[in-house]
Amino acid sequence: MLIVLLISSVAVFYAIRLSGGDATAAALPGSATEEFREEFRARIGLDKPIYLQYFAYMGKILKGDPGHSITNNASLVEMLKEHGKNSLVLGGAAFALVFLIGVPLGVLASLRRNSWADHGIMSFSIAGMAIPNFWLALLAIWLFASTFRILPAAGCCSGKQLILPAIVLAFEGIALTVRMTRSAMIENQNNDFVRTLRAGGLSEWRVMGKHVLRNAMIPIISLAGLRIGQIVGYALIVEQIFSWPGIGQALVTAVLRRDYPVAQFFSLVLVVLVVLGNWLADTGYTLANPRLRRSR
Amino acid sequence: MKEEIQDNLIQIHDLRISIYSEGSYFDVVKGLSLSVCSNEILCLVGESGCGKSITALSVMGLLPTDVAQVTNGEILFRGQDLLKLSASDMRRLRSDEISMIFQDPITSLDPVFTIGSLLTEIIRVHRNVGSSEAENMAVDALEAAQLPNARQRLKSYPHELSGGMRQRVMIALATALNPAVLIADEPTTALDVTVQAQILERLRERQREQKMGMLLITHDLAVVAEVADRVAVMYAGEIVEEASVQTLFDKPQHPYTQGLLGAIPDITARRGSLHAIPGRVPPPQVPPPGCEFAPRCVHALEECWESRPLLEGSGEGKLRCFNPQPLIT
Ligand SMILES: Nc1ncnc2c1ncn2[C@@H]1O[C@H](COP(=O)(O)OP(=O)(O)OP(=O)(O)O)[C@@H](O)[C@H]1O
Ligand SMILES: [Mg+2]
Repeated sequence: MLIVLLISSVAVFYAIRLSGGDATAAALPGSATEEFREEFRARIGLDKPIYLQYFAYMGKILKGDPGHSITNNASLVEMLKEHGKNSLVLGGAAFALVFLIGVPLGVLASLRRNSWADHGIMSFSIAGMAIPNFWLALLAIWLFASTFRILPAAGCCSGKQLILPAIVLAFEGIALTVRMTRSAMIENQNNDFVRTLRAGGLSEWRVMGKHVLRNAMIPIISLAGLRIGQIVGYALIVEQIFSWPGIGQALVTAVLRRDYPVAQFFSLVLVVLVVLGNWLADTGYTLANPRLRRSR
Repeated sequence: MKEEIQDNLIQIHDLRISIYSEGSYFDVVKGLSLSVCSNEILCLVGESGCGKSITALSVMGLLPTDVAQVTNGEILFRGQDLLKLSASDMRRLRSDEISMIFQDPITSLDPVFTIGSLLTEIIRVHRNVGSSEAENMAVDALEAAQLPNARQRLKSYPHELSGGMRQRVMIALATALNPAVLIADEPTTALDVTVQAQILERLRERQREQKMGMLLITHDLAVVAEVADRVAVMYAGEIVEEASVQTLFDKPQHPYTQGLLGAIPDITARRGSLHAIPGRVPPPQVPPPGCEFAPRCVHALEECWESRPLLEGSGEGKLRCFNPQPLIT
């Protein structure tokens, strides 16, 4: 995992540096002289070879001092705290929705297989996977904010303002979780142990709701980490559309303004989150499945 | 009178089970009748596919209802028709009064719960006891099934146990509540030969201790010879012969039974699996008009091809054959 983190941090660093654009153009007024620009580059270390810049940069980050924005001189640590908190609220809400909505719908579909409820849920799930995120966001705004005027279209950070972006952000995850839950439930309903439990006199509710569901949750829990990665990725778009001042929005703004310290630092944060999610996926699989835990 | 009640724990009358498969219905159990008394082991033998497991599952009320359905007959438990019970009444009987042990102990236990939590869950569904009381009952049941270190094993997951140990857990699950009837569907087939004998021995002891009526489904004549009190021979969805184990081995009358036993006079030499009989079981989709066994029977008469023989005889022995053969020794 550390190696993955190292490689991805290098990749992010290079990508931002190579993406072109003159940092001084963003930070200094157009009237600044060429000498002044050179001096500015030297001051922030842009004149050195890129690998030295990388080491210097990582050194600073590990010391807990990622630097400042070059457009408004805000401390990156402060920015991370503020935007991070907002993103955490939105991402956390979306993550919770993925499971709170996805799992029960999937269970329902599996228990009422081939009924209208099942067909309805599955069509909804296919739609959820097919509709692009930004389009869904615009649709939601148009429907709930413009037409019915029951929810605010944008802004932060009241509960009402949270609803639309959280649902949009969670939508694809919900759709995937519904499908996975349904197929895992159906697969496990055919297991021999189900017959044993019924022979033991347990109610269908217990057999399905406790034993089959618990077995079906193994792949779902283990892939929960991947859902984190997905949410992090989509947060870029969704935060932008709903003007939710999170990390994603800060990152997009920074890239547009060529504020490379902000862009670099926040990209790194997102990459770490995604890698962490994948690592959690592995851990989750072991946690969810006793057969993989070390036996005493 | 008491004798009478005891004698008939399970009575199956004229049971018919239909299977729906590949777009058509056909009977796999065709008017089967048998009874299991308390404190006896009835062995049900017959070739693969003749409907033994389906019959057992129908007693438990656990037929896969999307493919199999009881279309006729009754299954009486202490005089009460199980087929007429509500789902929740039937559930109350399961494992409390009628238990079942399945063939494959590897896949028959829920892998994500400890055996302790499985046992206590089933105990507490039926008995109003606290968790520590249930745990004690679980330990007792495991000890009765002779699982070593029973109390420590409560915290084990199924995958941490060997096949033999898991089948002991299954025995504990099935006998924890002192059921009156125990159905065991090939309980040792999936196990090592060395373990088979131990498990079987333990099952028999358990049956005697609790005076259970036991229906044991098996392919293994050695098992039959060792544990059975009575034997019912099943062919193509019906019982063709039923007798005490001694009578059946000494004087088998139905040509099919004789074929199974390989017509070897010496009972001790008849160990091992069922003797192969030439020919195949007729496909259940197209039942012959006469005796189901006629196409494979060397003694078949004209009437065997035209009409079906009935299962006739007393409680001592029953036979479904127009032309029974005395065994030539
Ligand atoms: N789920 C099912 N779907 C379709 N047909 C089935 C199903 N279960 C059983 N059958 C059919 O019912 C018949 C009886 O099956 P059953 O399992 O009772 O046989 P058995 O006597 O237990 O055989 P074995 O000795 O191999 O266990 C077989 O012909 C089988 O093909
Ligand atoms: Mg079987």
